[in-house]
Amino acid sequence: MRGLLITILVATFGIYSTHAQNRQLLYDFNEIPQALMLNPGMKTSQRWHVGVPVISGLFFQASTSGVTVNDLFADDGVDFTTKVQERVLDVMTRRDDFSSTSQIEGFNIGFRGRNRPDDYYSFGMYGEMDIISYWPKDLALLAFEGNGGSNIGRSFDLGDLKLRGEMVNVFHFGINRKVNNTWTIGARAKLYSSIFQFQSIKNSGSFTTVQGQDNIYRSTIVADMQLQTSGVKGFYDIIDEDTGTTRKDLKRLFTERVLLGGSLGLGFDAGFTHQLNPQTTVTGSILDVGFIYNSNDVWNYTLEGTASTEGITVFLPEDIDDVDNDLWQDLVDEIDEALPHGENQSGYISFRPIKAYGSIRYDFGEGGRNWSENCGCAINTGGGVNSDFYRNSVGGQLYMIKRPRGIQAALTGFYQKRVGRGLSLKTTYTIDKYSLTNIGLGLNLQAGPVNFYVLGDNLLGYGNIADSHYASLQFGFNIISWNDN
Amino acid sequence: MLFASILILMPSSCMEEQDFDQFDDLSITPTLASGIFYLESDEETINSYGGFGTFYSQTMNFDAFNETYVAERLLEGVIIYEIENTTSKRLDISIEFLDESGNPLYMEGFTVEANLSEPVTREVAYGPGGLSLSILANTSSLRVTGRNLGDATSTSSHPEPKISLSSAAEFIFRLK
Repeated sequence: MRGLLITILVATFGIYSTHAQNRQLLYDFNEIPQALMLNPGMKTSQRWHVGVPVISGLFFQASTSGVTVNDLFADDGVDFTTKVQERVLDVMTRRDDFSSTSQIEGFNIGFRGRNRPDDYYSFGMYGEMDIISYWPKDLALLAFEGNGGSNIGRSFDLGDLKLRGEMVNVFHFGINRKVNNTWTIGARAKLYSSIFQFQSIKNSGSFTTVQGQDNIYRSTIVADMQLQTSGVKGFYDIIDEDTGTTRKDLKRLFTERVLLGGSLGLGFDAGFTHQLNPQTTVTGSILDVGFIYNSNDVWNYTLEGTASTEGITVFLPEDIDDVDNDLWQDLVDEIDEALPHGENQSGYISFRPIKAYGSIRYDFGEGGRNWSENCGCAINTGGGVNSDFYRNSVGGQLYMIKRPRGIQAALTGFYQKRVGRGLSLKTTYTIDKYSLTNIGLGLNLQAGPVNFYVLGDNLLGYGNIADSHYASLQFGFNIISWNDN
Repeated sequence: MLFASILILMPSSCMEEQDFDQFDDLSITPTLASGIFYLESDEETINSYGGFGTFYSQTMNFDAFNETYVAERLLEGVIIYEIENTTSKRLDISIEFLDESGNPLYMEGFTVEANLSEPVTREVAYGPGGLSLSILANTSSLRVTGRNLGDATSTSSHPEPKISLSSAAEFIFRLK
């Protein structure tokens, strides 16, 4: 029991999770090649870039819209059960979630077409893990309070159980094209190689205890629940066997899945940049429009049916000849039969969490940079105008992601400052369901061909990170060659 | 200025002391409620077994409380009984809690008058201040017996004369 509870707590409070995967600091940060992953239609300036393998793009994000670690585990002398009651059970709703996303780039390479300099091609591979779990409010209340006492008559919603998680390796190839002086568009094809996936997102049903028709109480459960897993059991079996080769076997299976040996899927990204006037630009992108067909190592668990009981019932004279001693066991068997729980290995499709970005940017403050230096003038100039020429940018961004309980949105205001030829800073203020005080700061440093960036979110939360509802950090190294015109 | 302010804030990153051992103090004690047993008999059936005798006796297995997982976590609670009698007979109903060998651990008995206008309700507490929880933890079966303390000829004027025994449990368990 303790193990189960710790697992639940880790899954909810420990892992926290992918809030929204929002990467507002990186979006439209044109100096960073990885921004192309958020908008394949971004304006590109470089001739080519190569991400330093494994460390070109590291991204970690965790968030909770409800309770924080500090709310529960602060050494404040308050009884722990009281804290759980007052800070979790009494206030959190089924729309609160814990989520976590991490992304590690294996490699990322981009180059400009020799014969079509308006085209910028990029390809690479990255791994991503994404987990989201909504607070199962009614199930938690059932566990903590039970169905008795004041909960007689209450309907506990089994649909409150909603979670999804996956680890996927993504191979991608994108084309970015400058159409004319005001339009840049792009698209990216993705091949997903699933390492594991699980989801329990289409649950419905209820558990109620009410005054019985005959007996004092009647309990009824109506359930249509399913946990779908792909790629999980293989890892579980290796760990469960606990042989001397466990580590080696895990590594082998992981490598196999990374390299297209597991379930596969397809998807695409698309985006654009449009210059409304010399200083105003709008952008938009849609990411991970795709799916994975989970056919490898699939184990699904189901619970479906309806059962109702008032206990053992004997009606005379109807049951006068029923001298069976096993009335209790018969009752248990009857419920079990009415509420079959099973396993199957049917493949299933899981959709990737679709994300969309949009932004408007106003550039100002001419910097006098020589266009022939690191500005991509050969590609992104027109009519004597180049936004790289401006020292400052200000604007707003909108972010949306499709989640199991609907679309989550975030609104960001940003200011970007370019200092000299090698330094760019971007600060953001973001509001979403996780925080109203999310201030982020990003830094991009270009030292010759070496590019380094680091982006940190919700900096005010760093005062006590355990009390933060949201935290993200991303950084990476690239080698960039700029157009020399 | 803005960037400078943020840069000043960043190094102040820290985390207040957290005590994760508090998890051990978490107490989860839900109250679980369920119907246990319901017996109903019409007056005609009682009459058919004759007067001043047993009209129903049945021993049935009942493992709800003696499953190890349940028995170890029982804290306290009540078993609620409710009896309605609209027959013309004075009746005696007993529920015996038997261990695995069939030995009686406890008996709950009811003698109910004929033509009750109101149901008889009894709540029997188990745990601190009540009966020992070991009775329930060791109960493997129930013997339910109904006796007619009247004759076999009288009939009630009630449109559907019957005796019914309802029972339910509301217990607090320690899950954690």
